Amino acid sequence: MTEALTILLMGAGTAFMVLAAIGIVRLPDLFTRMHAATKVGTLGASGIVLALAVHFDNLGVTTRALFVIGFLFLTAPIAAHMLGRAAYFTGVPFWEGTGVDELKEAGDGGGSRASGDPKSPNAAGEGASRESEDPH
Amino acid sequence: MENGSAIETAGLIVLACLTGSMLLAFYRLVKGPSLPDRVIALDLIAALTVGVCGVYAIVSDQSVFLRPAIALALVSFLGAIAFAYYIRKGGTS
Amino acid sequence: MKYFLWNLLLAFVWASVSGNIAPETLAAGFLIGFGILYFVQPALGPSSYFKKVRQVVFFFFFFLWELFLANLRVAYDVVTPTHHNKPGVIGIELDAETDWEITLLANFISLTPGTLSLDVSDDRKVLYIHAMFVDDPETLRKEIKNGLERRLLEVLR
Repeated sequence: MTEALTILLMGAGTAFMVLAAIGIVRLPDLFTRMHAATKVGTLGASGIVLALAVHFDNLGVTTRALFVIGFLFLTAPIAAHMLGRAAYFTGVPFWEGTGVDELKEAGDGGGSRASGDPKSPNAAGEGASRESEDPH
Repeated sequence: MENGSAIETAGLIVLACLTGSMLLAFYRLVKGPSLPDRVIALDLIAALTVGVCGVYAIVSDQSVFLRPAIALALVSFLGAIAFAYYIRKGGTS
Repeated sequence: MKYFLWNLLLAFVWASVSGNIAPETLAAGFLIGFGILYFVQPALGPSSYFKKVRQVVFFFFFFLWELFLANLRVAYDVVTPTHHNKPGVIGIELDAETDWEITLLANFISLTPGTLSLDVSDDRKVLYIHAMFVDDPETLRKEIKNGLERRLLEVLR
């Protein structure tokens, strides 16, 4: 019973991890890659750590495993948010299939960029140039 | 050890899959057109390593391998945050 | 809050009477204590504790379900040869007001695959998210407002 559950959790976690890895290679632009890599990968890691907790069935190991899972779920969105925000405001190009961009339409990005970044002279023209900018 | 061997076989298959995933992530790390791409590839590699530590702990029946997983989960987050800060200050090349 | 402390106390009493303070007995004690408190509620005075617990449990399962669905959608798009995602950046008018509420909402949105919170406007009225499947901005906006945000605010307020 324990073995079956361990193998099941381990397999599910690994499936998520493999999906994340395929996603990070196949998806077209940074932001969609981020959807695949950061969250699906975190879920996969949590699955494997949960399998570990089930396998050892021991209080010390279980608490530590839960700590790892809690920490992964606490930090993954923060890291993803900070990276996505940094990438957006430094003008990483979108995939051409991208539909709406309401943040640019709102013209509000300039204000929040200046407030978030003390070196605002550098940031002033970014809203206009972010489509033409090419990071290669 | 009949039950143990089932877990061992599954664990070896899983380790092979994780190694393949790590190669894919390395491809993105080497190729990635912009710096944030490389950073998320690194982040994924860290998550994969946490997974490998966990699977290896199960296969070898040694719970000490959970400790590197804890350390890695803590450190990779700081790395991603530091890179995000650097990208905000610097550039994406 | 008072009910929660009572519940913890009852859990410990149950565990010590059972003779072993293991997580299983503590959990069982917590559940039994919850049931007892539910029955003696008229004697102790009214409280929102039971409603809160129910909302938190509902939110937990709701979020797990959302996580599962979103994962399937992203996974489907990853493994099929053609890309049929249509990413986009949309703004959501926030009902959340305090820093704590906005932070939690942004984190939960970021945690679901397929949506990623990018920025909050300066007047803290609009949260901009990058979503992977924006077939129609209005429906997605409604989905997040009526699903995640409403339930989260229900729990927090």
